Amino acid sequence: MTVVATLSRQPGRPRSRSSAWRGLLYIAPAMALVILFFVVPVIVTAWMSLHAWPLMGAQRWIGISNYVRMIHDARFLSALRFTGLYTVVATIAIFAVAFPLALFVEKQRRFVGAYRTVIFLPVVVGLATASLLWVWLANVDSGFIGPLLKELGLVERSPNLLASFDAAFLTIIVMVVWKIAGFTMIILLTGLQAIPSDIVEAARIDGAKRWQRFRYLTLPLMRRTIALALIISVTGSILAFDQFYIMTAGGPQNRMISVVYYIFNQSFVSFNLGYGASLSIVLLAILVAISIVQLWLLKVGDDKA
Amino acid sequence: MMKQLLAATSLLALSLTPSLAAAETINMWVRTGVGDAFKNVVAAYNAGHEDKVELTEVPFSELVQKYATSIAGGQAPDALSMDLIYTPAFAAAGQLEDLTDWAKSLPYFNALSPSHVRLGTYDDKIYGLPLSVETSVFAWNKDLYRKAGLDPEKAPANWDEITANAEKIRALGDDTYGFYFSGGGCGGCMIFTFTPLVWGAGADILSADGKTATLDTPEMRKAVDIYRNMVKKDLVPAGAASDNGTNFLSFTNGKIGQQSLGAFAIGTLVTEHPTIDFGVTLIPGVNGSPSSFAGGDNVVVTKGTTKLEPVKAFIQYIYSEEGQKIMAKYGSLPTRGDIADQVLKGLDPRMEVGMKAIAVAKTPYTLQFNDLINSANGPWATFLNAAIFSDDIEGAFSSAQSEMQSIIDSGQ
Repeated sequence: MTVVATLSRQPGRPRSRSSAWRGLLYIAPAMALVILFFVVPVIVTAWMSLHAWPLMGAQRWIGISNYVRMIHDARFLSALRFTGLYTVVATIAIFAVAFPLALFVEKQRRFVGAYRTVIFLPVVVGLATASLLWVWLANVDSGFIGPLLKELGLVERSPNLLASFDAAFLTIIVMVVWKIAGFTMIILLTGLQAIPSDIVEAARIDGAKRWQRFRYLTLPLMRRTIALALIISVTGSILAFDQFYIMTAGGPQNRMISVVYYIFNQSFVSFNLGYGASLSIVLLAILVAISIVQLWLLKVGDDKA
Repeated sequence: MMKQLLAATSLLALSLTPSLAAAETINMWVRTGVGDAFKNVVAAYNAGHEDKVELTEVPFSELVQKYATSIAGGQAPDALSMDLIYTPAFAAAGQLEDLTDWAKSLPYFNALSPSHVRLGTYDDKIYGLPLSVETSVFAWNKDLYRKAGLDPEKAPANWDEITANAEKIRALGDDTYGFYFSGGGCGGCMIFTFTPLVWGAGADILSADGKTATLDTPEMRKAVDIYRNMVKKDLVPAGAASDNGTNFLSFTNGKIGQQSLGAFAIGTLVTEHPTIDFGVTLIPGVNGSPSSFAGGDNVVVTKGTTKLEPVKAFIQYIYSEEGQKIMAKYGSLPTRGDIADQVLKGLDPRMEVGMKAIAVAKTPYTLQFNDLINSANGPWATFLNAAIFSDDIEGAFSSAQSEMQSIIDSGQ
């Protein structure tokens, strides 16, 4: 990897025409996939977003009316607010759990393989499956959490966790952390393991305390890894849909409608594919912007920092 | 290699096509939550005919969008059993086969359920024909009535009685409840079981022309109060607040004293839960006079299907006395008025209450039923959850009223 990077950075190095073509040939399959499954759909979506496009019947060109409409769309704005709240809470919760776990399973100790496996296991469960599982766990009568609290005598009667916003939101956050933290942990773990042990050793000899080593050595050296984990987590949270659709159906009282859920509702419940497409384009723009800001904040790509 | 494979499969497909013509397989969809009547009539048809019907069950809350997307994607079933209130919307979008001439040639056409045919007609052409009929009714568990010291043969006549009975039943024990409803975003369940409370008193949630939302009426406030009161008194299981329709048939577990149900549920109770001893009456309105929701499904045929003739043959089987009897046994009221008496003869007498309800029943007519009523995130479902379970009744009324009106206006 480093070799390639150094080579390509040498200025004025002559390059034969045939090797350029060969390079193109090598990336052609990947490019074909990206064009077919990303670029073309985005262009089609952008085209649709300029129409009144019902699911059934004829479409009609309306210019940027869809984009004007969403500025005044209170339901869209509240979906944005909710998605923002969810993203912040979920990301913080996932990192607060995943980072200590990564530090815990990094050291060689007895059964570390077993710990890693157990923590990672929920990741291989599909999100929809996990949501269904938690619907049962949270069920007020035949579930697990509520009846357990009652058996333990902590509450007088089994609470309906999915009936109020706070309890349902908490349940979903706990579910997502249980489901995702293992994945973030693995990413962070690769970053931790990439830190050369001689540097840590040197710092220790110089008298750096545990916290100092973490703050001034581990964190800066893991910047790229953290950026990757952060972007995956933030993107995943902004695109959240399954858990709200399955666990609460957007309730109680529509207070858990994420942006993707709203796009789904507009497209496939109200049959406004055109408006759904314009919302998707805006969401894409928001995602790109947020990712750029994150990369910039973490100064990834700036090798000297 | 790839080419050879392709050639081989297309050859195979070619050679298969003619042989299929002999015995056709019709693809049909049915929504969940409508009982077993249709499933059983399909089974009976498949057992006795060369043509087969392949049935796919689709969750009731997703049938409309799944059907619409499958049409857009060219994967639509040949025919489906569609909630009758959606027929106008799909007919208006030009997605359904025109059945007018054939329907009118049926000797018993004039005896078919009129409200189904009315909703199946668009621009004077018939696109949907009655498949199953059901009305909403009020059911009570006679065993629990007996245990609570109530007269098991006396049907409650108003909501004061229902509430009082619910309290006595609740007193029986920890997991025995007096009343149940699916209050967590199941707009379809609630329009079916809850609107009769206001309809009976002469109010409605939409104006007669369907262009004005008339949610905020004294009758609706009274109806909401009745349900709120029962929730507050702990007569309803806590799960009701988040039940999006999955547990609509909670009455079948034998621990629910009273619930408003549909005629389909009577069929399910009679055939699958014979141990539950229950009575059925009409749903009282807030002032006592009863009402009901006349619902059910129309059968519609996807435009351009190649299986039109086999589908017609299957529909005619459903309309035969044999077909009607099977449907009725599993809870669908007869769709043919001319042979209704013969069909119901010898069946459970409680089905007759469902039949009687037709006289006082209503069916809303709006092209935006999904957006307004059935969608779990629509104003109707949201309103009921907020009005019954939250503390902000005024907010629930005002935001639902304005959101309904804005959906209606945007659809004009």
